[in-house]
Amino acid sequence: MLLDIIILVLRETVEAGVILSLLLCISNQYKLGYSWFYSALSIGVILASVYAANFRLVGEWFDFAGQEVINASMQFIIYACLLTICSLLIFSNLKGYRQLKLILGIAIALAITRELAEMFIFYAGFFQSDGDLVKVFTGSFIGMMIGLSFGVLCYYAINIWNRSTSKIIQIIFLTLIAAGMSVQATQLLIQIDWLSASKPLWSSNWLLDESSIFGQMTYAVFGYESSPTLPEVILYLSTLIFIAVLSVVSYAKSGYLRVKPSHRSNPSSPRELNDG
Amino acid sequence: MKRILVLLLLFSLPALSLAKAPVIELRIKDHLFYPAEVIVPANTKVKLLVINQDATPEEFESYELNREKVIIGNSKAIIFIGPLEPGEYPFFGEFNMSTALGKIIVE
Repeated sequence: MLLDIIILVLRETVEAGVILSLLLCISNQYKLGYSWFYSALSIGVILASVYAANFRLVGEWFDFAGQEVINASMQFIIYACLLTICSLLIFSNLKGYRQLKLILGIAIALAITRELAEMFIFYAGFFQSDGDLVKVFTGSFIGMMIGLSFGVLCYYAINIWNRSTSKIIQIIFLTLIAAGMSVQATQLLIQIDWLSASKPLWSSNWLLDESSIFGQMTYAVFGYESSPTLPEVILYLSTLIFIAVLSVVSYAKSGYLRVKPSHRSNPSSPRELNDG
Repeated sequence: MKRILVLLLLFSLPALSLAKAPVIELRIKDHLFYPAEVIVPANTKVKLLVINQDATPEEFESYELNREKVIIGNSKAIIFIGPLEPGEYPFFGEFNMSTALGKIIVE
């Protein structure tokens, strides 16, 4: 029982914790302050409460597919936010700070809503059944502390590097988390038969068992799927390719800008090329 | 975003055109699944109708089936599974992992 609660809380906390720590790193790096974060946190808690309180009603929407539709929508919005932040980072176009704060805020508020609503439902059910309060609070505390520690560890692991290395790490993590979000959302749409179900393309359970602790962590953070279907693989790869292409374009563009002054007559040195 | 919508439409078309999937009923009572073993035909999409008869919520979860759904107390939920290869696919109730256990047997 205690272990069950620890695992349950840990899974929810780790997923939100990694997104939070990553986005806070970006905020810290671009000196965006913390007011947006507290606002997003509060909105996330309010939305999670409203969602959990109306879960029965929402669940009945779309012929009992409401839960999946709402969750997949939230995941696709987070996905879009993460890709936008990633694109801004790649092109170093972070002048529109207000918009950046808004995008970061939406991603965090929805990530919290998604994870916290499930926790609220779990606790509501537990109090309803007069279960062992000590076990629930102890398990929740341990699970939350491990999850938060993981988030804090991620935050400092990204922040210790210099700005350019940290930026590369942020882009890689944002891309993987976004791709994972798309896989999870796709699975939800397959679950309600809104997307065509197909047989899994492969099984990598022999390499990393999805039900193991590490497997669950990688699923929660990167959307690791040991037996993915075609739509999931396409979306995952499309995300990776999209960010890779943006990075190449950005690199090529910056390279082009550096050599552009060569149109000037007879530059005398490479340094002049760059300085021109 | 447009690309995602196009992809969604593309993959939705076969789903819309398929015949109705057979319905299999699964009940949750006293934090247990009834029946604990569900037999389904191979290579066939199946509609699981999960009825939670407990007052407390439960989360149907299966790593092997890639399914996850919270079912509020005294309510029902629909989960599509398959088409699947023959074999066994365990599932469990995430809110009561030690008792709510079952498996889908595909033959």
